[in-house]
Amino acid sequence: MDTNKKAEIKFSSIDDIDKKIHANQVLYDQLHQSLVDEIVSKDDEAQKKEKSRKSDVSKTRNFLLKFSDYYQSNELFRYALWGFVAVFFSTTILTIIEYPLFSGSVKDDVGDGFMFGGDEPNWVDTFFHTFWWAVVTFTTVGYGDVSPETHLGKLLTIIIMILNLGIVTMLTGAVSSVLVAARLKGDDTLDETKFYGHLIIAGWNPAVQSALRLIEANEDSASVVILINETEEEIIKRAVSGFDRLDITHLSENFTQEGVLKKAFIEECGTFMIVPDESGLLPNEKPDEDKTVLTALTAKSILEDIQVVAYILDEEYISHLHRANVNEIVFPDEHIPHMLAKHVTDPGVPQLFDELITQEKQDKGIQVVSIPKGLVGLTHNKVSAYYKFKNKWLLVGYAIKKAGFSLEEQMGESGSPIIRDMIKEQLDGAGIKLSSDEHVIVEINPDDEYIIDGKHKALVLR
Amino acid sequence: MGVNAKQIQKINYFSKVSEDLCSEIAKVVKQKKCSPKTTLLKEGEAGDTMLLIFQGQVEVSKNMMVKTSSGFTMSTKSIIRLETTDPSPANKPITEPTVSVVKAPAFGIGEFSLVLDNAKRTSHVTAMTDINYGIIKLEDFSNIVDKHPSIGGSVYFEVAKSAVNNLATATQDISNLTQAFFFALAK
Repeated sequence: MDTNKKAEIKFSSIDDIDKKIHANQVLYDQLHQSLVDEIVSKDDEAQKKEKSRKSDVSKTRNFLLKFSDYYQSNELFRYALWGFVAVFFSTTILTIIEYPLFSGSVKDDVGDGFMFGGDEPNWVDTFFHTFWWAVVTFTTVGYGDVSPETHLGKLLTIIIMILNLGIVTMLTGAVSSVLVAARLKGDDTLDETKFYGHLIIAGWNPAVQSALRLIEANEDSASVVILINETEEEIIKRAVSGFDRLDITHLSENFTQEGVLKKAFIEECGTFMIVPDESGLLPNEKPDEDKTVLTALTAKSILEDIQVVAYILDEEYISHLHRANVNEIVFPDEHIPHMLAKHVTDPGVPQLFDELITQEKQDKGIQVVSIPKGLVGLTHNKVSAYYKFKNKWLLVGYAIKKAGFSLEEQMGESGSPIIRDMIKEQLDGAGIKLSSDEHVIVEINPDDEYIIDGKHKALVLR
Repeated sequence: MGVNAKQIQKINYFSKVSEDLCSEIAKVVKQKKCSPKTTLLKEGEAGDTMLLIFQGQVEVSKNMMVKTSSGFTMSTKSIIRLETTDPSPANKPITEPTVSVVKAPAFGIGEFSLVLDNAKRTSHVTAMTDINYGIIKLEDFSNIVDKHPSIGGSVYFEVAKSAVNNLATATQDISNLTQAFFFALAK
């Protein structure tokens, strides 16, 4: 009796829930759609505003900026520009002052040839003729077919010729210095302007090619890559052919050296990756992982803020890398016991990992995406609903960029200054930095009420 | 020239005491003078007197273990300098200050002696200029307090206030040092 009743209740309650869900489904969808709409429109507005503001000013501004940059940086261009201005200026002046003379000699020189003014030379002919004279004078060729005759004209010409001496000398100097500089630099200097936020990979092993393929597939990631290793050029060329999006440069040098890292613009790089280097090894030789630690130390000593990711094969080196302040350490062996055990305890989990990690298609697998500004400050359940309804993505968790802990900030103005100063002085003396590095932590499947701030990025399953 | 009530009142511990009673105190204060480099108080020494600095600059320092290039050594580390403003020091300090200089009309130092019998001095106090100061004995002060209990209340309140402030700073210092300690260990 009793059990029957219970079962009935159960049935009715499940039915009830179904009914309720159905009744609320529409409302539920609307609710979420409105959330999505609101956030999307907010973001769109913000973007539009920014765009329109940018496009108005930016075109002329950009051009001027580029022009002034080029002017500043290129000596040759600078002198050539001044030379041109000087020629043009003297042409104008002489045309005005010696108009009768130049205009008269046009006819003598040109004879029956083409003239803009038809039979009689007009101002265009005269101006061009004077221009001819100016260029002949400036290049120090000096045909002498035309020359000023009045005192004023000659006086101005003297000034022009003396000025010209300076400009020509500097222009010649600039030309030769550019040529000499080009020869000194050789071919292996990279174009500085291209490298900012790029990826540097020090060392070479077969995993690098696969990693590059995955990076290539994600269009939001950096596209400029520098490989530093001493593997034969041929092998690298074969390995990196077939990449469209990635712009890969190979530096065939020893990456443990500071100079080489600087040549790859390590100060500007987005990520510096060190992998076990198999360059020039025989099949049964192991890569020298001391080099990895040494390179990490070198990189961090060039600039503490460089994001360094180290791939290590031998567990022994992990503590050394920690001490070198490496931001992330990739140690694949760590995962093997888990994978093996899960095949026994939770069959299916390792396969899931395989599927997720080795997924090479761009729009599949686990990815990190930026959270729209409109969602910052909201709770996890809303953010999760946003992705579900907008993109049909499953929000798995968050990657959070944690600022490094700064002792100085932590102490602030508290306590007595003498103690604070002493702490700083003593730690400094012991070579201990007062702040730790920024690093990424993950928060998986948090509570519904978990608040998302600007440091969060969404880990989504697509 | 004796000490007058106005001079006593400039010291913050006695600022709330009436002028009449200050002149009572002034009677038991023994006025003294000293030249630069004189050690007025020595860390660790027991004392039953409080010093009232009327004019000049003094440096407060403590013995501390510091790390130098040749290892650890004990050395005297200056913590703070105190300077009177009313009147200001008669001459320039013998060395330039390396720590912050706190200025006030006049100072009382060794105030713990007004509370504790034979209190240990917690730091060195050294004269940096010519100093014009007065000494008051705990015994004499207690006698005055017995006669005029109202003095005790306001003076001990000020002493307690400064002690509580020091304690708060010390707590912060401990927390800073603990953090620094963990920070250093983590490396």
